[in-house]
Amino acid sequence: MKKKFLLFVLAASGFALTSKAQDTVKTTQDAPLVLYGSVDTYYKDDFSGHANIPTSFASDNNSASIGMVDLGLKKSVGNASFVGELSFGPRNDESVPTSGYHIQNLYVSYNLSSKLNATAGYMSTFIGYEVISPTGNFNYSTSYLFTNGPFQNAGLKLTYTFSDKVSLMAGIFNDEWNVYTSQHDVSTFGAQLTLTPVKNWTAYLNVATGPTSGTIFDLTTNYQITAAFKLGLNAASFTPAHYGFGPVTYGYSGVALYPQLAVSKVVTIGLREEYFSTKSDGSTLAGPLPGGHVLGSTLSLNIKSGPFTLIPEIRYDSVNSQTYSTFTDSNGAPTTSATQFVLAAVYAF
Amino acid sequence: MKKIFLILTCLFITAAASAQKDLLSFNEQNKYIYYQVVEQPGLTADTMHARALYFLKTAYAQNKIKEGAISGNFTGSGKFLIASSLSAIKHVYGEINYTYFIECKDGKYRYWLTDFVYTPHKTDRYGNSVPEQGVDIPLEGGASKVDKREFGICLDEVGTYSKQFGDKLKQDMVKISNLSPKETHKTITTTKDW
Repeated sequence: MKKKFLLFVLAASGFALTSKAQDTVKTTQDAPLVLYGSVDTYYKDDFSGHANIPTSFASDNNSASIGMVDLGLKKSVGNASFVGELSFGPRNDESVPTSGYHIQNLYVSYNLSSKLNATAGYMSTFIGYEVISPTGNFNYSTSYLFTNGPFQNAGLKLTYTFSDKVSLMAGIFNDEWNVYTSQHDVSTFGAQLTLTPVKNWTAYLNVATGPTSGTIFDLTTNYQITAAFKLGLNAASFTPAHYGFGPVTYGYSGVALYPQLAVSKVVTIGLREEYFSTKSDGSTLAGPLPGGHVLGSTLSLNIKSGPFTLIPEIRYDSVNSQTYSTFTDSNGAPTTSATQFVLAAVYAF
Repeated sequence: MKKIFLILTCLFITAAASAQKDLLSFNEQNKYIYYQVVEQPGLTADTMHARALYFLKTAYAQNKIKEGAISGNFTGSGKFLIASSLSAIKHVYGEINYTYFIECKDGKYRYWLTDFVYTPHKTDRYGNSVPEQGVDIPLEGGASKVDKREFGICLDEVGTYSKQFGDKLKQDMVKISNLSPKETHKTITTTKDW
């Protein structure tokens, strides 16, 4: 019996090897199913002894905590493709609209021509510089602009590529951001003009506006100036709708600069310098009290080894006046500034 | 029993030894190159020129083609993805941009692929695999800039792709029917004259 089995293995191995010599050579093929994703974990220590800085994720203080496991599958056949991305963990729970759901991206896409693409489903937002997945950000903690802006938009969008330097996306999305299901209708209009003025410089001019979601204008740009130095910028201004929705019922504006320098094959150092202000008649998800502004300085290292990235990070946020600050010191007394240290590990695959 | 084990061992060693990076060598500029000269007795330079053009237009339709200054040659550029496979699931590491050269003479032709430049991919917010902006690594300098395992996969994939390019070219060079793309002939019947 063993002999028969071994002979079978031998025959199968021989067939596998000889079958490599084919009569015809295929040069094109449909991409197979592609798997991608990440896992992340972190330790945070706010110098006051308790969590102060209110931006998204990494919210546990003095704790070895987990972010999320992110699992994406995608496939393209001919002109059609799909992406399905699921995530699990505290970072997921803070980033999806409905507890118990785990969908970050779920959409289908079709190339109507070589220049025109149609995409429908639930997608990461086109607004802003930072993203939910830790592999898409340089800093582990997130900006005020990110936390207060949209995370996802569900809808239908068309993207037309005029040239390799200009493309335009326009779409109609659910009436609210970050929802799997619209509250009333599909009434948010969104558009993105993508410009590549010179090689390695891309700028995105974004707008999303609707009677329920309000209006946000956003500029996101990245310029890899030299092989080692990259500069990013994000600026946005949000005006709520008359009735508003959710916790972001009042306006804000801000700007963040992201210089990054690769000092070796393994180590890149990067700064995020952000100015964020809230309008005087309300409050935002995260930020100073109405009418105040905050300056956030975050210095991070990205230490890479293949798919693994270690991120030590120090962050100092300062509000313009104690009147607008929500920070408290180690005694619980109001203060205008907060400092935290984060050590995060991210593995991407 | 021993014989079976011996044969099995030989087969697995053969399979493991098929690392395609060994097909690459270095040219005068110290760049990786896949270089082949193929004897094709009985075929004229013009015939092979036409067949090479057909090959480039059909098998590698996305590539940029440029007819060279010397009669009977082509040069151009192309790109392909670097990916690792685990059964049906694939992980994309990046892409390789390259240039190619094909020259035909009576009875023989030669070709090479060189100027391999690796650009790692990252996953964007929509889950798409996209090139990292501004990161272009000539393959010759890859060992010091790319993770060792990833670089090994790159070299193997470049070797595999180059060999496939050559195999397909060879196939098209000997096929008479490939002189021009097939045209669909339709018969028109007129009802005006009868």
